[in-house]
Amino acid sequence: MGSSPWPQGTRSRSLKRIWPWLVLLGVLGMVRWSKGAGFADAYALLTRPFWPGSAQKQWIQSAQQQNDATRLQLLEVDNARLRGLLSLDRQGAKNAISAAVISRTPEGWWQQIVLGKGMLDGIQQGDAVIGPGGLIGRVQSATPATSLVRLLTAPGSRVGVWVPRTRQHALLVGMGTSRPELKFIDKDVKVRPGDLVSTSPASTLLPANLPVAVVQSLNSRAVPAPTALVQLIAPPDAIDWVQVSRR
Amino acid sequence: MARLHSQPICVASGLLVPLISLAAPSWLSLGGVLPSWAVLWLLPWALIDGPVSGVIAGAAMGLILDGLNVGDASQVPALMLLGWWWGRLGRRGRPIQRSLNLGLLAWIGTMLLGLSLWAQLLVQGVDAPLAQAFALHTCLAQGLMTGLMAPMIGSWQLLIWRRRTPA
Repeated sequence: MGSSPWPQGTRSRSLKRIWPWLVLLGVLGMVRWSKGAGFADAYALLTRPFWPGSAQKQWIQSAQQQNDATRLQLLEVDNARLRGLLSLDRQGAKNAISAAVISRTPEGWWQQIVLGKGMLDGIQQGDAVIGPGGLIGRVQSATPATSLVRLLTAPGSRVGVWVPRTRQHALLVGMGTSRPELKFIDKDVKVRPGDLVSTSPASTLLPANLPVAVVQSLNSRAVPAPTALVQLIAPPDAIDWVQVSRR
Repeated sequence: MARLHSQPICVASGLLVPLISLAAPSWLSLGGVLPSWAVLWLLPWALIDGPVSGVIAGAAMGLILDGLNVGDASQVPALMLLGWWWGRLGRRGRPIQRSLNLGLLAWIGTMLLGLSLWAQLLVQGVDAPLAQAFALHTCLAQGLMTGLMAPMIGSWQLLIWRRRTPA
């Protein structure tokens, strides 16, 4: 019977010496198998105080806004080209005039604002007045240095609009309240609360596709056609500067 | 006989009405509605200067304000009527100068003015229930504000103008 070249005690001592290395190898294998999850999590935990702060977040948002603005500009150019092909290129951003609001009475019998620019700057009766967010009214009259604007909320104000989602035309009628009424022409109205109301893409009196309001509630039982209450996107009582779109 | 209309400074005071209407101080509004500055100016004027001057002043004030305001509703008829009525009141009996009287006259005048505008809106086809609620709200708020301010502003105007035009 042959005997082992290594005595029994020597083998167990060798195992005792290498088992920590085996464990280490196993741990490294686990790290490899888990794609370094433990290290990544530990790193994240340790470096959290040094993560990009609000300033860097603003940089990213600013870059995003710039990206959006560039895309919008490109789309406007493209839209103008297409409208030109359709012979609907009567209006554009070049005709916009910035004007300060020098007087405002958004409530009461006469809901109007007075602008600090008038005929000398090329503003005429019927021009569209646009606030941040959308249309707020039309120029009722203009003097050499001022313009009187009738707000969309003014009682008796009437502007033709349409709902882009359902492609339905309607009349936006001022009621004196902050929410004008939308009077539809069709009886079968598929409009629902939340729908955007804009100027018609084929409008000749107002700039096309201009946001105006959002539908708040629908009265489908109204006669002779359904009506809806809308909330204007641009609040006229909090606007200091507007854009006048010349026709 | 008092001749307020022959004093340029008194006539020029009427120019403050369109200017204040344009300035539209929001801190003087009630529910977003401002007092009727035309009524506040016309009341003491007509009480002192008589019905003919009141009618002419009401028409002039109405024409100026109609020019400054959007829409087709006019203040001229109501202001002319108020100028004539207040002018006749001023010529009868004792002079009207108590706060309650001034406030009441201003409130009645503003309500009359508001009702005339409301009627014109109805004629123009603005007859939806929401529009009626708006008109009622505006009438009441403007009447209340004008009635409350008339004793303060009207008394002061009466005092100054009566000193300038002793009977």
